[in-house]
Amino acid sequence: MKRIFTISGLVLLCSFFFTYAYAQNTTLKGKVTDATTGESLVGVSVIIKGTTTGTQTDASGAFTLSVSPNATLVVTYIGYAEQQVNVGTASTISIKMLPAASQLQQVVVIGYGTQRKVDNTGAVSSVKGADISKQPDANPVSALQGKVAGVTITNNGTPGSAPAISIRGLGTVYGNVSPLYVVDGVWYDDITFLNSGDIENVTILKDASSTAIYGVRAANGVVLITTKKGVKGGPAISYNGYVGYQAATNQPKMATAAQYAQAINETVTYGNTFAAPDDVKPPIFDNPASYGKGTDWYGQILRNAFTTSHQVSLSGGSEKATYDYSFGYLNQDGLVRNNNYQRFTIHLSNEFKPISILSVGYSANGVYSYSKDAPGGIFHQLYSASPTLPVYYADGKYGDPTDYGTGSGNNFNPEVTLDYNNHRTVDHRFTGDVHAELKIVKGLKFRTSFGGDLGQLEARGFTPVYAATVAQTTTTTTLNIEHTETKNWIWENTLTYDYRYKDHKITALAGYSAQNNRTYEIVANANGVPYVKSGNLYSSYPQGDTSVTRIRNPSDQLHNRTLSQFARINYSYKDKYLLNASIRRDGASQFYPNPYGWFPSIGGGWVITNESFMKDQHIFDNLKLRASWGKVGNSVVPINPSVQTVAADPYLTAIFGNPQVPYQGASINTIVPPRTVWEKAVATDFGIEGSILHNKLSFEADYYNRKTEDAIFAIPVLASIGTNSGNLIGNQATIQNKGFEISITWKDRVGSDFGYSLSGNVGVNNNKVLSVESGKNPIYAGGNGIANGNLATRTVVGEPIGEFYGYKVTGVFQTQAQVDQSPQKGTNTQPGDFIYQDTNHDGSIDSKDRVVIGNPNPKISYGFNTSFTYKQFDLTLDMQGVADVDVYNANIGFRFGGENFTQDFYEHRWHGPGTSNTYPSTNVGANNNSKPNSFFVESGAYFRVRNAQLGYTLPSLSLKKYGIQRLRVYANAQNAINIFGYKGFTPEIGGAALSRGIDADVYPLFATYNLGVNVTF
Amino acid sequence: MKTNKKILQGTLGLSLIACLVAFQGCKKSWLDVNPAGNQAATQFWKTQDDATKAVDAMYANLHEWSNIAFASIAVESMGSDDVNKGSRADDATFMNDFHNFSANSGEGQISDFWGGEYKTINFANQVLDNVPNISMDASLKSRYLAEAKFIRAWCYFRLVRAFGDVPLRLHVPKGASEYNIPRTPKVQVWAAIETDLTDAAAVLPQSYSAADIGRITKGAALALHAKAAMYQTLTNKAKWNDVLTYTNQVMALGYTLFPNYEQMFRTNNKNNSESIFEIQCMLVPNNPNASNSQYSQVQGVDGSTGGGWGFNVPSASLAAAYEPGDPRRDATIIFRGETTPEGDVIPTSGGNSTMYNQKSYVPFSLYVSGFNEGCQQDKICLRYADVLLMNAEANNELGNAAAALTSLELVRARARAGNNAILPPVTTTDQAALRLAIWNERHIELAMEFDRYFDVIRQGNAAAIFGPRGWKAGKNEVWPLPQNEIDLSAGTLTQNPGY
Repeated sequence: MKRIFTISGLVLLCSFFFTYAYAQNTTLKGKVTDATTGESLVGVSVIIKGTTTGTQTDASGAFTLSVSPNATLVVTYIGYAEQQVNVGTASTISIKMLPAASQLQQVVVIGYGTQRKVDNTGAVSSVKGADISKQPDANPVSALQGKVAGVTITNNGTPGSAPAISIRGLGTVYGNVSPLYVVDGVWYDDITFLNSGDIENVTILKDASSTAIYGVRAANGVVLITTKKGVKGGPAISYNGYVGYQAATNQPKMATAAQYAQAINETVTYGNTFAAPDDVKPPIFDNPASYGKGTDWYGQILRNAFTTSHQVSLSGGSEKATYDYSFGYLNQDGLVRNNNYQRFTIHLSNEFKPISILSVGYSANGVYSYSKDAPGGIFHQLYSASPTLPVYYADGKYGDPTDYGTGSGNNFNPEVTLDYNNHRTVDHRFTGDVHAELKIVKGLKFRTSFGGDLGQLEARGFTPVYAATVAQTTTTTTLNIEHTETKNWIWENTLTYDYRYKDHKITALAGYSAQNNRTYEIVANANGVPYVKSGNLYSSYPQGDTSVTRIRNPSDQLHNRTLSQFARINYSYKDKYLLNASIRRDGASQFYPNPYGWFPSIGGGWVITNESFMKDQHIFDNLKLRASWGKVGNSVVPINPSVQTVAADPYLTAIFGNPQVPYQGASINTIVPPRTVWEKAVATDFGIEGSILHNKLSFEADYYNRKTEDAIFAIPVLASIGTNSGNLIGNQATIQNKGFEISITWKDRVGSDFGYSLSGNVGVNNNKVLSVESGKNPIYAGGNGIANGNLATRTVVGEPIGEFYGYKVTGVFQTQAQVDQSPQKGTNTQPGDFIYQDTNHDGSIDSKDRVVIGNPNPKISYGFNTSFTYKQFDLTLDMQGVADVDVYNANIGFRFGGENFTQDFYEHRWHGPGTSNTYPSTNVGANNNSKPNSFFVESGAYFRVRNAQLGYTLPSLSLKKYGIQRLRVYANAQNAINIFGYKGFTPEIGGAALSRGIDADVYPLFATYNLGVNVTF
Repeated sequence: MKTNKKILQGTLGLSLIACLVAFQGCKKSWLDVNPAGNQAATQFWKTQDDATKAVDAMYANLHEWSNIAFASIAVESMGSDDVNKGSRADDATFMNDFHNFSANSGEGQISDFWGGEYKTINFANQVLDNVPNISMDASLKSRYLAEAKFIRAWCYFRLVRAFGDVPLRLHVPKGASEYNIPRTPKVQVWAAIETDLTDAAAVLPQSYSAADIGRITKGAALALHAKAAMYQTLTNKAKWNDVLTYTNQVMALGYTLFPNYEQMFRTNNKNNSESIFEIQCMLVPNNPNASNSQYSQVQGVDGSTGGGWGFNVPSASLAAAYEPGDPRRDATIIFRGETTPEGDVIPTSGGNSTMYNQKSYVPFSLYVSGFNEGCQQDKICLRYADVLLMNAEANNELGNAAAALTSLELVRARARAGNNAILPPVTTTDQAALRLAIWNERHIELAMEFDRYFDVIRQGNAAAIFGPRGWKAGKNEVWPLPQNEIDLSAGTLTQNPGY
């Protein structure tokens, strides 16, 4: 009680001090603009030096502040150099800020706060919200591609889906491999709910000393996102919108009907070679040449997909309250006909300052999306479908593959698949936080925030009764509904203390946090229900009918909790010597009964240019060396790996009785390790930052070494143990990601009309497994899309995670005599089949002859971002690529019979002695040829012009009379130019950690072209 | 006033901190979260209901893909002279590797078969290790344990036939030290099978009430015991005495041959008077995952809605093996162009083969979209005709030709279906001639029932019958162990000779 009284007394004292400081003030009016573009800067922080008094610029970049004569203003803005301006006796002032001219002067967002970049000792990269909303991406993460060194983004073409992101290589294999997203202080696994236009800033924390404050969730990096907040003034109304279309690009040509018929006849010939004489099949097509060009299935099903986005925002405020409201609408057609994604987003944010020491506020995001989904597997169908098959026969009936006998691998008419597909996904999600910040005494702030994520996802599919082809016939309607609910909350409380004494500057932080995350899913199936056009198909479930099967899929039910304490201290001496240290203690329920762990970090920096001996040099405007070390964790596994559970899935249904009755069984079909701990990433980072030539050229380079210890893997175990998955999940390996990153930016103006910036970044990462619990035993994985249960990847000590592993092809057998003299004799090998390297020279080809055939982990990723402004015109050209990476083209060999071939394969195929020594015959799907081998591995390197945008801002004078402050129109092309050697559809292949880079989905690469407008009233 | 406000704020801030400290006090229990999706294993094995569910899970696994579909075709049927791969020439060509005996240790079907049997064994071991500790109805408990022993024996029977020496797991591994165990010599595996079957037969009932039909009976344990004994006779002639003993015991249990050979395999005659061990399958409405048997689908007529994939099709040599007029030929083989007794017209074109397995056939009218074709079909694994033929063979080997002829004639008489113009009774009492006649009868009677391939090997006739297709004595008696398994064992498991 006594202590409370003392602090209250201090508070009292402070309030007197503030009152005193306000006494002699005069009113200063100012405006802050971008020194390069002249654009007004909104939300710039203007603070009177030596005080905590300050304000922010309003929507037109203006501010009003009471100042005492000769006060110095400290002007800071994320992405811009800090400026200190002496007011003198002026009553108006114009401040021009240099955008990112010197990275060292920027203010960066860090965990639980902000920091001048000059004081930061970690590897932190920022991207402005404007650079993200510029691109026509539904998901903001996509727009980061190529923008930040060391960040690799793999996009996925399905509308509404999230891209894969990895920061400094792959350190996690099991569970969630994504970084942690922190939006306005609330933690998320993904940010599909965010509209790019609502983002103020994205900051990526790459090294462990920056991420360690996020402890057990930070091993894969942290992406901090600040959404837009209202600023004083206004109301400012702005509208941003675009309209455009997406089109498939760089598509490989498929064989024509005539080529296909010839190729399929050849598969029958080769297939017959080892069949029993009475199982030999006749050729399927009598006269292949007569089939001509045939059906272009891609042309039939794909389209130029319309896409449009609109966003209106309203923001403004007063000293005591600010607001930012926005409403967004996105309508994106998929490349597949009938596929459509609509999204409505709302962003609401208010900040109130009822009294000078207290601010309270909230930010809330709501999203509703409605997706008419493309049929599952449609892209593989387009790839496989027979070009000899007409879409419709002359009588209007669907073309039926059974009439051609082209087999089970393509026994479908994709048009039927599309026409009878009725699958919808509806997502409601509400996220946000409420927070309050109280200044207890000078320099000491208490902040509490409560955030949540409430989601409800419903996917439903309805199959009508139809009889289109022999294989595509249904006898009853089917309705299935998947319902997923997410309820997460996080409560965080921090105390921050800023202290300056002479040359010492200290910021200390202590905090406490608790989280609770729950996800429930339920699936219901029913047959024979009527179709209700009105949409809500719940109503068509038979009421009270017990025959509706409801299933809770165990792996989709999650519940976990986290409890944490953390502290950090940032210290700088004379702005020269920097020290940052933090520690976090986390408890994660996934690892109960050993839930707690400590996550420390330390970083140091030396700002060389602030040394007296550097005073007289004119080369460096800024130069800083920094080093950091930290230990962070990754607790994101679905359930506690050491808790054995009971399996009770529908597959375990026994049948007894007359009449027969199903009985749901349950038993144990897993093994678990006795104890599991979370993965720990221990990382070291050395960096240098600087700028030269009057801040025109700035650079930043980092070397890092990140070791993931106790990496959680699902490793294969002996099948004779009898587990269902054949795996044991536990701490299995130590993985190292080592590499460097360089970013260089050149920014300049020529005359008053032309400004430009050129910025390049490159990240080089080497991934290596340092040790595996199973000793020398490799971990084989990656069977998806590989025929006959073969596994295409291997993870073994000393090599990268999930490298491609298989037989090395040395040629193609030309004659039977050649086969008979080879180690492959007697293995159902025939001319036209691959010759494999007998690696161990034992005279036979078996699994011991397999070698490393490729690495799916991109070694080099790079970006080159440029922008030019000339008078009213602006041009942005962003280029991006990856190099030194391999892709496994699984589509070629993954065949059940009758699938189409690419024209490249057809033209190069072996079809008789001397026709090819690299491509096999069309019998490529046979066991001997389809097992993982080097033929299927291709370079996944690509270079693309990710974004090209040309904008024109109308002269502001002509618009004033319409009340328009700013009007800009632009044209944008995304992915317009792609250069790669890969023979599949796109070299951008994601996938689970152990089966990364295996292309079995054939989703086409697409380009987006759009026209847009930005208006501010 | 303002001052008061600040005191209030300060107090509020500190009370919040106090709250947090209090909140932290309860952290221990707060982080102990139950697994959300599934019951924790520590809460299982408590009640009779848990025991029932675990036994059900074990039965359920018998109709799972790797137990009943492709892997079984590859390992237990494709080597036979009765079948061809079927389907398209270029579809699943690895099946030809089993037909040509060029299959190696990397074949996916080998590891699938291996893993599938051990999964069922795990379910049986879970029951056998845990149910004894549950307090429940004592007679039900002992019956459950007996059922589990039969299922375990059945899986080891399939494994030892396919691979010879195999790791013998009679308990759930207790920890990592028990994961990697070497192969047990097949003699000991056979002994373990026989022990389980003896135990099971002593407890299991002869029959069940209507609700429990389909569970393992005493007859099943005895019949499998007879078969297990017969498979050891090539190296141990004395085992014929066991075959005789157990078949005689089965024959005293009241089984009768189902009058109509063709109809015996239809879904409306499930668990008929001849059936001894039948894997129970059904179409569970609205639940395709529970209706997961693909036994009929993979062998079904291709190119017809409601048919199937058309694998494991009868060979020309099987079609030619029947005696003139034998109705079993038409009952075993669906010929393209025919109309089935259930009225399905098999079009002359549209599929890839001329013949299909009729014993796994389910009328197309029973097809429900969204479910596997023919998921209603039970698989009969042991039936009375098999027992009679084992009894005949044992009698013949032990010098009781007359008794052998009696059992053999029962099988032929049923096939004859009253038409005395066909299938004349076998009369020879010459041991060698009668042996051939019995083998021939087994071939025909059990054709397309996954018996032939290993039966020929245990007769010692494989080199003669399969040799032309590449079967080699000293190697092909067994398939290779899966390479993945050998790799994972890091040297603990050895490969079969010749692979």
